[in-house]
Amino acid sequence: MADRFSPLQRYFLTALFCMASAFGLTFFADDLDHANIVMPLLLVVLLVSVNLGRDCAVFSAVLCVSLFDYLFVPPRFSFAVNDPQYLVTFFVMLVVALTTAHMASGLKQAAADALKREEITQALYKVAKDLAGALTGSQVNEIISKFVLEQTASKSWIIETQDNKIVRDEMTKGSPFSIESHMATIALRDKRTVNSSSLNGADWASLYVPLGTSMRTYGVLSVSNIENPQINLRMIEALASLIAITLERLHYAQVAQKNELEIVSERLRSSILSALSHDIRTPLTVLVGLADSLSMVKPSLPAQALETSAAIAQQAMRLSNLVSNLLEMARLNSGEVKLRFEWHLLQDVVGASLQHLNLALADHRIITNIPSNLPLLELDAVLMERVVSNLLENAVKYSPKGSRIEIGAIEHPSDIEIYVLDQGPGFDATKLEEVFSLFVRGEKESNKPGFGVGLAISQVVVKAHRGNIYAQNNSDGGGSVHVLLPKGMPPELEQEVCA
Amino acid sequence: MDFRVLIIEDEIQIRRILKNALEDEGCHISEAGSVKEGLRQVGATNPELIVLDLGLPDGDGIGFIEEVRTWSDTPILILSARFDEKDKVAGLNAGADDYLTKPFGVSELIARIKALLRRKPRLEEDVSPLVQFGNCSVDFSTRTVLREDQEIHLTPIEYKLLAVMLSRPDKVMTQTHILKTVWGDSYADSAHYLRIYMSHLRQKLEENPSQPKHFLTEIGVGYRFKQ
Repeated sequence: MADRFSPLQRYFLTALFCMASAFGLTFFADDLDHANIVMPLLLVVLLVSVNLGRDCAVFSAVLCVSLFDYLFVPPRFSFAVNDPQYLVTFFVMLVVALTTAHMASGLKQAAADALKREEITQALYKVAKDLAGALTGSQVNEIISKFVLEQTASKSWIIETQDNKIVRDEMTKGSPFSIESHMATIALRDKRTVNSSSLNGADWASLYVPLGTSMRTYGVLSVSNIENPQINLRMIEALASLIAITLERLHYAQVAQKNELEIVSERLRSSILSALSHDIRTPLTVLVGLADSLSMVKPSLPAQALETSAAIAQQAMRLSNLVSNLLEMARLNSGEVKLRFEWHLLQDVVGASLQHLNLALADHRIITNIPSNLPLLELDAVLMERVVSNLLENAVKYSPKGSRIEIGAIEHPSDIEIYVLDQGPGFDATKLEEVFSLFVRGEKESNKPGFGVGLAISQVVVKAHRGNIYAQNNSDGGGSVHVLLPKGMPPELEQEVCA
Repeated sequence: MDFRVLIIEDEIQIRRILKNALEDEGCHISEAGSVKEGLRQVGATNPELIVLDLGLPDGDGIGFIEEVRTWSDTPILILSARFDEKDKVAGLNAGADDYLTKPFGVSELIARIKALLRRKPRLEEDVSPLVQFGNCSVDFSTRTVLREDQEIHLTPIEYKLLAVMLSRPDKVMTQTHILKTVWGDSYADSAHYLRIYMSHLRQKLEENPSQPKHFLTEIGVGYRFKQ
């Protein structure tokens, strides 16, 4: 009711009401005891304070005491007082009236506040429901802008952050006001609300609330020109935690989706590789088999035909090796392969490689120079065998028939060096590092078979072993490739009790 | 060779090559294109050797080996792609006798099959206590190992390892199998023991230990003794 009138009107109404009551009571002045005249006047104060607010209540209290003095206390129609004991009546009456006024208007205010809070709670509840359905950051922003506008008549904008940093252009694009990025950064860094009333009024956001959960901070809520800060500030902060939870939910939903996507594409890649591997290997197997069976035809084919069939088989094998290298390379690069590290003897790996290459090495003199007391090395034997085989194959490919190829190992303080040394022309001195990149070969336009896959995959494997690989030319001619592998801590071996 | 051989392989071309090559050697061939058909053929033809492709369309070659092993010790030769060391080991541990990596030469295939078939009747006779390879001879009855007529001293574990390796010549043995047999179950994960002791054997018995001729490493799988 108080809101419907201007202050002047309210005072006027108060005066009118008090006077009407007091003058009405004068008709009963002779019949009623003074105490019973005070009571209705106090009731008037109570009514005024309930309906017209605190200021009018105080005014009515003073007015009613004055009117009581003027109209009823002898000598009547004068402010003079004959009997000093009426001063007690005045005093008590004034205190009671003021107390009543104060409490009644306070109660009213409290009721109004409670109502307002109830409204805010309802609104927050509704916005929480809306946020639960939000699927994107811009939807969240839209819901919040609408809510803040309805509740406080202020504009608002969510500044999303990337890696806990505000990206100025990206994040403020589309905002309804200017953003003081320094204050937003402070809010973000200190995880506290920053409110600058000096920015009020202008077209600037003045309130910055961090949007953080216990896990991390997702952004800053900026609000312009906030009114009634006592209530609205708390509401905005409550709102901020709702937004933070929503953004966190969106974040994790995104992460989950991304993970699922990665798993699916990983599986796809893996199945493509294995299908490819199978599909290429099958015709190669057939090719090798067919060529071989030609050489077994009885009666035997002419020598030339036999040679041809052997060459077909050999080339198919070579192609198979190449495909293996490429597929292994793809698998390693995709990060799909988990290395199976175990403690191995280098002799085993080299021995297996020599055995595997048996025929290909037949035209060269192979010298092995591996100390028998070499410590165990932690490696993926299958992949390392591939490296050794590739190095040996390369040596065979680029050095003349009958020449010497040496494979050996040297123990250094912190690592083991494996080397393959040939007596070929060596590497192009300007390309010692390039030879490990894919599809670079030692000689330009060379007619030697093979891409640079062998050295490239060797490098990938050696790097996966935390090792190093390099090529060099030696003073006595010929090239060599060196692999350095870290020594690590080999497991202890229980000594056998000799009988 | 007059043996019944079952070929289980889904690629018709590869099957035909295997068939032709083995028939030239005098074998009787039955064929299957799937695990299901394979199991049926095992029952119907009672083969003396099975060649099994691990990548069959209806699945599990390992399951096939386990199933066959419950009632038959027919030698099984696995064919597989080069990458799948894990599959090979699983197949061998399930009871397969050897493996070949695709692509393979026909002569290699014939040699492996001959070795597998040669071994079979030997189980029925008494195993000879005397084994010779390279310039070494081992007499199990007296537990002596000679190299160029010089006695070689082996530790008990080395001797045990030698005995296990020599027991199945030409057969690939997975490292888990050797570890369990020589050291016992609790050492199944201590492969480095096997590697060290194998290198001791090579030092003592091979002419050139770093280019072994008899104690061969099947990388990622295990070891093979070649006479």
